[in-house]
Amino acid sequence: MGEVIWVEVLSRHRDVAARYRCSGTEIHIGRGYDNDVVIDDPYIAPRHIRIARNSEGVLVAADLGTANGLFADKSHDRKNRIVINGDAPIRIGRTYLRIRDEKYAVAPERIVKLPGRRSWLSVLYLALPLLVMQALSAWLGETVEQRLSHYIFPVLGIALITLGWTTLWAILSRVFSGHANFEANLVIALKGMLIFVIGDVLVDYAAFSLSWGAMLGYVYIGAWLLLATICFFHVREIGPSRLPLKGSIVAALAIAAISTQSLVQSENHVGTYHQNYVRRLKPPAFRLAPEKTDDAFFSEVEQLRAKLDRSRSEDSDADGTADVSDADD
Amino acid sequence: MRYPYLQKILALIVLFVCLSSSGADEVIQQPYDFPPQLPLSATAESVYAMARPKLLQIRTLLDVAGRQTTLGSGFLVSADGFAVTNYHVVSQYVLEPKTYRLEYATPDGLHGPLKLMAIDVANDLAVVQLDKHEQPVFEFNKRALRGTLSKGERVYSMGNPLDLGFTIVEGNYNGLVEKSYNERIHFSGAINAGMSGGPAVTADGRVVGINVAKQIGSELVSFLVPAHFAAALVERAKTSPQLSLINVRGEIGRQLMKWQEGFYKAVADQGFRLSPYGPYKAPESNAAWVNCWAETNVDQSSRPRATVNVTNCRTDTWVFVANDLNTGPINLSHSYVKGVDLNRFQFAAFLSQRYQLPWVGTPSGNRHTGQRCQEDFISIPPSKDRPPLHAVWCARAYREFEGLYDVSMLIVTQDRNDEALVSQLGMRGVSYPSAVALAKRFLGSIRWAK
Repeated sequence: MGEVIWVEVLSRHRDVAARYRCSGTEIHIGRGYDNDVVIDDPYIAPRHIRIARNSEGVLVAADLGTANGLFADKSHDRKNRIVINGDAPIRIGRTYLRIRDEKYAVAPERIVKLPGRRSWLSVLYLALPLLVMQALSAWLGETVEQRLSHYIFPVLGIALITLGWTTLWAILSRVFSGHANFEANLVIALKGMLIFVIGDVLVDYAAFSLSWGAMLGYVYIGAWLLLATICFFHVREIGPSRLPLKGSIVAALAIAAISTQSLVQSENHVGTYHQNYVRRLKPPAFRLAPEKTDDAFFSEVEQLRAKLDRSRSEDSDADGTADVSDADD
Repeated sequence: MRYPYLQKILALIVLFVCLSSSGADEVIQQPYDFPPQLPLSATAESVYAMARPKLLQIRTLLDVAGRQTTLGSGFLVSADGFAVTNYHVVSQYVLEPKTYRLEYATPDGLHGPLKLMAIDVANDLAVVQLDKHEQPVFEFNKRALRGTLSKGERVYSMGNPLDLGFTIVEGNYNGLVEKSYNERIHFSGAINAGMSGGPAVTADGRVVGINVAKQIGSELVSFLVPAHFAAALVERAKTSPQLSLINVRGEIGRQLMKWQEGFYKAVADQGFRLSPYGPYKAPESNAAWVNCWAETNVDQSSRPRATVNVTNCRTDTWVFVANDLNTGPINLSHSYVKGVDLNRFQFAAFLSQRYQLPWVGTPSGNRHTGQRCQEDFISIPPSKDRPPLHAVWCARAYREFEGLYDVSMLIVTQDRNDEALVSQLGMRGVSYPSAVALAKRFLGSIRWAK
């Protein structure tokens, strides 16, 4: 029995459109019916290429003197002969071909992630604390008459946001990889939400405990980084290929978002800027920062004056020039 | 519940009555002679007839357009062409002399340029000089300068309201405004926009005050700047060199600085008393011109889960600097909050709603730097009669006036889980030392009631 050569016709997206099993040591590909593989591409010659093994036993495609020639994948350099690599396609006419022999080693089978009970259980383990935390924070922030709707709306809200976000990624995943992977995306979204909610509470309490309200002005950096991380995991779920590239795109977007917001904040700094202070009080027991004496507090206050005067002299240049021009009168 | 007292404050805001819209006017000349039987209004007729050649309309014109942007009134006071008006009538020109120019118009339709000679920002006065010198002039009322006018005395206010033409308004002298740090005459008569800077005179035609403001949301409650401030400014204008507009912001800054020094010294000299708020005691000013109002939420229709008892105090010491910059007042408030059925977290959330910096005016990028804050937990080690506090101090500097700041301070007690005192102190146009001194005293006198 002779050896087997597989000829695969690829779509423009490099999916296999047709696959031909050829036996024999030498095969011909072209538009004519005397070929082993017949391709209905008008830009292909009746007898276009021959595929055979060279002296080292490697498959080689050879141009049979055609007008349109033989190319490697998207290259524009016409070749007379191309050594076949099972992964890189060749191009004749407007058709992409991939040629493999029976020794071509395929990747090991991927493990199927079954949407079984365990997967849904992990969703439950994440969703439950998230909803409980949401309800708890609604209860702890309750200052008016208690109503059930005060708890239902925040819980429902975060549930809907999480489901909406997951659906978006499931659709993207379906479009690009063929599988929605809803459970996996839901787990990522829930983990992200949980980290966000816990982080928000921690920052809130830390700002009060350490009496460091200015910190609240920089929370957006953490939020953007968390969002970028979540997006990265979703992207990874769609397909594990080219991760460094995808990661750097996500990181670049996050950096762009952070710098834009920082720019807006620093521009506001000039005029209507209002430095943050701790607006959300906590029970006195949460205080961690050491208590200062009045004098220590007011000496810090005095130091603030120097900062104010500096920012006054920094941007009073405009007034200075106005005064100078008045002198022309 | 959060700003129920705002309406009250709004109702009490004083409107400075210069006119900033345009309208045609026609001056009707009235013949003057005494009829044999004098009706009541004959005095007004004679006062107006005497005053008419001494009255001015003061116009601020946009230089490039040559059209009026602000209208006010003024009156001649000396043979060398000096006239008195309000600072707020000429403030646009003072601050932007390249963009605006000043012009006067007489009841006879004459007009010409004006020179700015002197300003008194704290008392809202300005002295200008006309190019012609032959008109008769007003004299100041001696009794008014001494402050011996009697309540109820008839006073005639004159000016050009709403650009409708020169007008005389009859009203009563009602003494100085009580509960006011800035000296202002309470005039019960109709002052309207455009009459700012016009004279108010007694029946003998002598000036007792200068029209300056009216209370909006009220009837016939108007204010005059006492004549002695104008007399002093005229004297200054005669003896000192003309006000230099090149460094006018320096001069305004100096006047504001001097005014706030006197004001904060008066606040300090009047002292504070400690008023009880639940288990706490908090300072309130003894000064009669600090007006306090109380507020509560216990009468709300839906039963509140924490009761709030608020005392809001403020001084109506407004100082007009520019159309978008009024400065001067101090506000001071204490809110005693007591939880009814809130747990400690819910109480902290409730308290946070009241934990807001006092409002010290809209920030403006041209006029103020950004606001910077300092916050800390505070305790006094030596004496054990004060609860631990959390305090926030935020300040922004005036970019045009060196050494002046807007300061807001916020303090909350940190000793109990179900009750607390939130205190606010807002100061506008204050020097840093004045602000720190008042804040120290304010913060230092919050106590536990024993």
